[in-house]
Amino acid sequence: MAALRARLVNPIVWRVPGHAARKLFSFSLAEHGSMLDLASAAHLAPDPERRALYLRHMLDEQRHARMFAMRSADLRLRDGRQSLGFPVADNEDLFERLGELRFLAFVHRGEKRGRQQFEAYRDWFQGRGDRKSASLFTAIIRDETRHEQYTHDLLVELAGSPARARAEIRAASLWEKWRIWRRLGRVIAEQAYFLAMSVIYLISGPFFRLAVRPRAAGWINHGAAPDAAHVPPPSREWSAA
Amino acid sequence: MSAVLGISAYYHDSAAALIVDGEVIAAVQEERLSRRKNDPGMPQRAAEACLRQAGLEAQDLDRIVFYENPFGRLERVVLSSLRAFPRSWRHFPAALQSQIGSKIWVLDGIAGALGVPRGKITTVGHHESHAASAFFPSPFEEAAILTVDGMGEDESTAIWHGADTDLRCLASIPYPHSIGLLYAAITAFLGFEVNEGEYKVMGLAAFGKPSFQNEFRTLLQLQADGAFELNTQYFAFHTDINIAFSPRLERLLGPPRRRGKAWDLTGDETDQRYADIAASLQWITEEALLGLAREARRRTGSPNLCLAGGVALNCVANARLLRESGFSRIFVQPAAGDAGGALGAAMLGAIELDRERPARMTSAALGVPICNDAARALCGSLGLHWRYPGDILDEAADLVLRGKIGAFVRGRFEWGPRALGQRSIIASPADPGMRDRINQVVKKREPFRPFAPAVLSDRASDWFAEHDNDMTPFMTTTARVVERQAGDIGAVRHVDGTARVQTVTAQASSDFCGLLERMERNGAPPIVLNTSLNGAGEPIIGDEADALGFFMSHPVDFMVLGDILLEKGANPS
Repeated sequence: MAALRARLVNPIVWRVPGHAARKLFSFSLAEHGSMLDLASAAHLAPDPERRALYLRHMLDEQRHARMFAMRSADLRLRDGRQSLGFPVADNEDLFERLGELRFLAFVHRGEKRGRQQFEAYRDWFQGRGDRKSASLFTAIIRDETRHEQYTHDLLVELAGSPARARAEIRAASLWEKWRIWRRLGRVIAEQAYFLAMSVIYLISGPFFRLAVRPRAAGWINHGAAPDAAHVPPPSREWSAA
Repeated sequence: MSAVLGISAYYHDSAAALIVDGEVIAAVQEERLSRRKNDPGMPQRAAEACLRQAGLEAQDLDRIVFYENPFGRLERVVLSSLRAFPRSWRHFPAALQSQIGSKIWVLDGIAGALGVPRGKITTVGHHESHAASAFFPSPFEEAAILTVDGMGEDESTAIWHGADTDLRCLASIPYPHSIGLLYAAITAFLGFEVNEGEYKVMGLAAFGKPSFQNEFRTLLQLQADGAFELNTQYFAFHTDINIAFSPRLERLLGPPRRRGKAWDLTGDETDQRYADIAASLQWITEEALLGLAREARRRTGSPNLCLAGGVALNCVANARLLRESGFSRIFVQPAAGDAGGALGAAMLGAIELDRERPARMTSAALGVPICNDAARALCGSLGLHWRYPGDILDEAADLVLRGKIGAFVRGRFEWGPRALGQRSIIASPADPGMRDRINQVVKKREPFRPFAPAVLSDRASDWFAEHDNDMTPFMTTTARVVERQAGDIGAVRHVDGTARVQTVTAQASSDFCGLLERMERNGAPPIVLNTSLNGAGEPIIGDEADALGFFMSHPVDFMVLGDILLEKGANPS
């Protein structure tokens, strides 16, 4: 499904001027968000073997975030725009919130979806002769495939059976849908809020503008130091103006 | 006696600090644990780490103190937006959303996150927290205090007087007249991230000449009594939440620099112009701070000055203040920015409960320690080879002297943005080429960025002048390199002949001190190049997992991790 969607939107996503760099930066942000969650997992997992697995995965995500950000910056600088900088994603604390098993199922789904999308993007760039972008996706797909595999194997091991692992993946899928629903709600609420605040601003702003005086510069005095009476008056020689 | 937790959050660099029975038990920035650079979120991990360090539960706390008054800030945001009507039409909804959506509920958020009754949580003023964080950990019985920040609730700058447990505000300058916001806007103009790139601007300034003094006098008008006025027509922080400067600034200073473009200060005239702008900004900042400091001296008559607020992290300006402001001694604690507000808030709470001033700060190692057992187990799982040398510090010193670049990870991590020998990259300070190697290959950052030297405190005068003060233990000032010794430390001498020196004593960091002693015993100066242990865009390393991740993903030659030594020759890079 993810691959099909990616193939369908490819021509739109990558052809709109300036959009490719933003899209790559959004991948960078997603990888950085994933890196933050895996860093948490590497800190909190009780078993050193699993800490090591999460740590290696975290390093891959960190590298991917940097690769996407650098490619995005290349494209933007080439177009005379400034780079979007380093990605700083929000921390969702998924390891703590979901527990290790559900977290693994969630990561496994994400890796699978990411690999499918990236394969579609790689094919698109290969078809257009953009070897730099195609090789970026090729390198990352290799890691995503490995992540997809190990998260599945570990999930089965921790869940106790393939059937229980599948149940966890289904539960993670449901949780993801719930998250999408909540995010959608938040976006709508933000827009409604923005609109409401803008109306309030336009109505009340002119009146407040009349009532609220501009701030004067200079010192606002609050008091004197206990024994400051002996100190000399200000000297004019300090002024650089 | 009492247990008081201070919290700063929801702007940038959130942090928690814990004081138990008058002693600072722990102080931790959230970014070290969340791995999100400049993390502004609720510092739950940091708070829990502080409590773990003390062996306490949140329920054991007598008080939690938040570092500013959320409603005071809300009032300022609303009023400043309305003053800028109608230019602030984009700013108003976005700023209010951020305030009403989360920030004004912060006290309930803290209660919920830590599971403590809401009644235990109080607030103090933003600048009061800064002032407390500057004065109470200082070595002074009484002092003038300057808090110079981007903004607080309603002030950007304030003069205080501190004596024993008493802290009194004498005067303040209201928002939007702010040196911090000027510095932030020009940081953005030069193509750096605001709240992150300011120290890059400071490093860049040394490569330029202050040839834009007239332009900067237009931006910031300095007055005879130390006050100043920001010409807000050139800025947009009060009208737009995403843009710091207005088109008028571009007309004054020329086009802004594109973020992400590689720097070339060897032949590119345009980049040289940006360096001159940075130098001019540094010049006006120093002039403004000198005016403020002299006014603080006039109002208090004190020979001592404490500084806090983001602007106090400008170590070049701090050195000039010590030389020219008339104060005999100046103290700047290592987390002088917003993170430090957590420490100040905790101290104010502790003083209110105990009526006693907390102990002075002698070491910045207030964070979470390395767990040696966990480090060894993780190395084993990662397939990394490690060993226990007989004298690990001696081996590390030997590797540094052989030109190797190492990571030094021992004990509890530092409080504040500086690596002070607990989470440091170390290398020989002798070869100037080492600076380029670390900048380009390890840290992947701008070529003009300087590195700091760490030197044994009692040997510092052989290499540095003006180092004997209260700031060098925390790397919050610079010192001149003694010219005849400059050849010994070419990698850490900045282009202007100074260095952001850290003087090391056994009391502040026994391991780091031991390393430097062994350097000297092996016939070298007791100095190492010391820079923060992090990659580009990453927070400084926190625990053993972060450290091993760094070792595996960056081209350092060796790592001292607690009591074990890892070398790249024995491990894949």
